[in-house]
Amino acid sequence: MERDKLIFCYVMVAPALILTVGLGIYPMLASMVMSFQLYDLLQINAVGTPFVGFENYIAVFQDPRFVQTIVNTVLFTIIAVVVSIAMGLFLSQVINANFKGRAVLRTLVFVPWFVPPVVASAIWMWLLQTERSPINHALQSMGLIDTDIRFLTDPSTFGPFSIPMMAVAAVRVWNGLPVIIIFLLAGLQSIPKGLYEAAEIDGASIMQKFWFVTLPMLRPVMSVLLALLVMNGLGQFEINYIMTRGGPQNLTNIMAVYSYQQAFMFFRFDYAAAASGVILLMTSVVCIFYVRAQSKDTLR
Amino acid sequence: MTRALENGAIADPARAKTGFRNNDPITRFVVVLVMGLMLVYILLPVFWMIKSSFQTSLEVQAIPPIWLPETWSLDAYFDAGLLIPLWRYMFNSIVVSVVSAVITTAIAATGAYVLARYRFPGAMLILGMILATQLIPAITRVFPVYFLVQDLQLLNTYAGLILAYVGFSLPFAILLLRGYFQTSSPPELEEAAMIDGCTHFGAFWRVILPISLPGLAAVTIFSFLNSWNDFLWASLLLSSGAMKTVQVGIGDFASEGGGVQYINAFMAACVIATIPALILFFFVQRWLVSGLTAGAVKG
Repeated sequence: MERDKLIFCYVMVAPALILTVGLGIYPMLASMVMSFQLYDLLQINAVGTPFVGFENYIAVFQDPRFVQTIVNTVLFTIIAVVVSIAMGLFLSQVINANFKGRAVLRTLVFVPWFVPPVVASAIWMWLLQTERSPINHALQSMGLIDTDIRFLTDPSTFGPFSIPMMAVAAVRVWNGLPVIIIFLLAGLQSIPKGLYEAAEIDGASIMQKFWFVTLPMLRPVMSVLLALLVMNGLGQFEINYIMTRGGPQNLTNIMAVYSYQQAFMFFRFDYAAAASGVILLMTSVVCIFYVRAQSKDTLR
Repeated sequence: MTRALENGAIADPARAKTGFRNNDPITRFVVVLVMGLMLVYILLPVFWMIKSSFQTSLEVQAIPPIWLPETWSLDAYFDAGLLIPLWRYMFNSIVVSVVSAVITTAIAATGAYVLARYRFPGAMLILGMILATQLIPAITRVFPVYFLVQDLQLLNTYAGLILAYVGFSLPFAILLLRGYFQTSSPPELEEAAMIDGCTHFGAFWRVILPISLPGLAAVTIFSFLNSWNDFLWASLLLSSGAMKTVQVGIGDFASEGGGVQYINAFMAACVIATIPALILFFFVQRWLVSGLTAGAVKG
């Protein structure tokens, strides 16, 4: 009987296990191995794929473009995390309050959720088209600017920041916001109302209630959200790739786009694997923290 | 909208849940103002897509831009299919998304069931691998998967992309269904079935699956959307000519920067590519919410 049960378990889980290993774990490891090999598609027939130690990592770290993509990736991630959590906190508070029209407001706030990331990139590219952007038009009519802002093509920089970086970050925040609001709403609704009533009896103002009740109570949700957003941010690909291909002058390039371009434009799968190895290392660190925190919760 | 907010800000205190119920007019003004600005940010791109799709080619090119169509026109929707092979791309997307969603759900259901209900050696390891695959970004495994699909002679076939999508959607589908099986039905159900002479599999097939249909439907739709929205895998595995998915077709056209004279037709294509996602999202909203936040709010 016990043996039957075990056989049943393994047979049932086998297809999922094979696919998870075959399309998840094995490729991750194979990609790591590739990052220690010479893997140039253009000379693979002549020289094969010998192991070269850390040479690919040394090569990509000596490429100033790659170093810039690391800085950009971190900046993009920080901007997206900070701005979207700040906006998410505000919006989730508002739609969690009781007022007429709340259902309509809630639906409107979730609209970007229905838009596929590729379509989001396409419509924002059109929205930010220099001469025909309604944003430029509105700002000019209000007299706030004299010349059109070149949202996606202005190459001037302010330290590590630039206008294209801000524009692409705005699109990423836009596309990711609804999911963040859902997390925060779920968190808000798990806060016992008694806490607010107690705070009110003590004469707390709105800001005090937010600061001393809401924020501390949201901490578990916020830490999960933070981990997910950071992992997601470090591996981001499509919005940057479609909107700018990393340009102008590498200003919006990020690690995943660099890796993709090394592989499928220059056929240097070794450099591509090294770049994605850096992503793997950075996300694994966050992942370990996340899984530890999660399993503490679920094992209890 | 803003008026609704102002009225709402002084709603009945007994019904209020948290937050911005208050009487200080300055705070209220700031809240309404910030909310208004955020709504512009959230809605302007979608408004701009829809209004551009109803403009004529001439009108959409105007400098400065025209905010509302002066002549409402459906031309763009007829031209969208001429600009890119939109309907063929839609067909490709539907085929790979439907097939991969069904396969994903079938495989996820059996795996998630035993992971939810039975303790067996290796179960935690398997869960760990599933979680790692779910959390670590896809770019860290695209190259070996690309070579794998190439070795299987499946580049530029539906089968190759479907295989990749099943691998891509499976982890989340398993985690979602595992949570569903754990909470939606009591283990006594199977115990009773097995006392009545059911095998382990019989209990799963005849008792648990029929009552889990809502969860299975949600996971199928979720997996469909996952594939529908994807760009990375499709751009590698199904990239040539008429085989592209609609997201790759739109992404490539956007990046190549086709002339502005076609932008109304292009925006119409964007609207069309969004509609299937829009319809399905309404069905699964509730499920996605509980799946996404599962574990996140057990404080």
